[in-house]
Amino acid sequence: MIDTDIHVLIDPEQLLGYVDPAQREWFRSRGLGLGLPDCPWAHPVSWFRDDAEHETDGAPTTSVGAIQRQVLDAYSVDIGILNAADGLAIPLVASSYRALALAQAHNDWLREHYLDQDPRLRAGLVCPAQDPQAAAKEIRRCANDRRFAHVLLVGGSERPYGEPRYLPIFEAAAECGLPVAIHSGGEGCGIAASPGGAGPPAFYIEWHTQAVAGSIMAHLVSLLCHGMFERLPNLRILFMEGGIAWLPGILWRLDTNWRALRAEVPWLERKPSEVARDHVWFSTQPLEHTNGNDALFFEMLEAIGAPDILCFATDYPHWDFDDPQHVLGRLPESWRSQVMHGNAATLYGDRLGLVTA
Amino acid sequence: MKDWHDIGGVEELDRDGSLIARIGGRDVGVVATPDGPRAVRNRCPHQGGPLCLGTVAERLVGTPGHYRLGGTTVLRCPWHGWEFSVESGHCLDDPAQRVATYRVRVHDERVLVEA
Repeated sequence: MIDTDIHVLIDPEQLLGYVDPAQREWFRSRGLGLGLPDCPWAHPVSWFRDDAEHETDGAPTTSVGAIQRQVLDAYSVDIGILNAADGLAIPLVASSYRALALAQAHNDWLREHYLDQDPRLRAGLVCPAQDPQAAAKEIRRCANDRRFAHVLLVGGSERPYGEPRYLPIFEAAAECGLPVAIHSGGEGCGIAASPGGAGPPAFYIEWHTQAVAGSIMAHLVSLLCHGMFERLPNLRILFMEGGIAWLPGILWRLDTNWRALRAEVPWLERKPSEVARDHVWFSTQPLEHTNGNDALFFEMLEAIGAPDILCFATDYPHWDFDDPQHVLGRLPESWRSQVMHGNAATLYGDRLGLVTA
Repeated sequence: MKDWHDIGGVEELDRDGSLIARIGGRDVGVVATPDGPRAVRNRCPHQGGPLCLGTVAERLVGTPGHYRLGGTTVLRCPWHGWEFSVESGHCLDDPAQRVATYRVRVHDERVLVEA
């Protein structure tokens, strides 16, 4: 099994050791949050599973040991890909200089404290997307370490990622053979645009329902419409944790629009859904409940190629974690091997270092 | 045939909030509630999470914009937060989902579960 999304929380004291010495005291003065933006919407109980590791004062934490016990060993995971948790907000920091310092530190810290500790682990590399040139440089700095499996971007952003300003990031990723994972989160936080187009929501449940899915929809449509895949034919994108039940609808809607509005995006010579089939993957978590309509759900997903583009993820240790046995039980039998392993193996290619026949 | 099983001490339950034991091939847990100990199967019917490691709380109710404590004690699953009645075992937001409940009593500072 390949778990494409295991989250890692920053240990501030450890991370500070990797920060540019000239900036270390500034970050220390920010306190445990290191100046990362807060999210206005908070889970009413906890962002994390109660049985995941916590500090003695009740603050959640992660560690290699907990990930080994509660994910890798518990579920016989072959490869687990680590993604920043609080570090996802690095691209939402107002100062691109501070963001770069944090991104570099996060990548170096992750390497030593996690990747060096277990050969089953890989990681997303963090970059300061608010400064795409600096982000590209950081991607190229880290790409030679093949344990970095993808570039990690966050759903919350200033503009949708198809915009030309972000091209240096995608060019660097494609040049280095790295997929780009766009992980939901941060919508409306820090310098990110307000979510949803109707103003900021009041509740976490609203934010979690429409904002985190909405940013993924926005980036998907933007990347397709701007012709990012026509510019970069070997670019691969993995959308994470935005849900998938909406995917057939948005692809069919975009295809419908393309037929009438193609003159605005003449470089799109194929139906957008066909371009997406060749370049875009989706993680499964959180797999939506369908109130007894699983047969219809999987039939609709099959119509847009889901058996070949879904990659399993637990999202440990978050509250909306998907247990692998639960997901296996819901998936059509013919999809299981591909979704739990094969599609991620195809997406990442030899980046994961898996032995192939 | 059901029998009474000693699954731990009252002191331990008060300290940890729950006691868990394997009885007849199943994990059964006792959680401390304001109305005394309650016993349920330690497996959430949603995705199999360790239900008895969750939180005992008073369920919130209300009208738009106003929150009120509803007077019902629930056991909230530590994974996804589903809320179960500690009396009936039903999930209060999806009554089709239910966890088994067991009789529990205290004798000589020991917690006993009938299973």
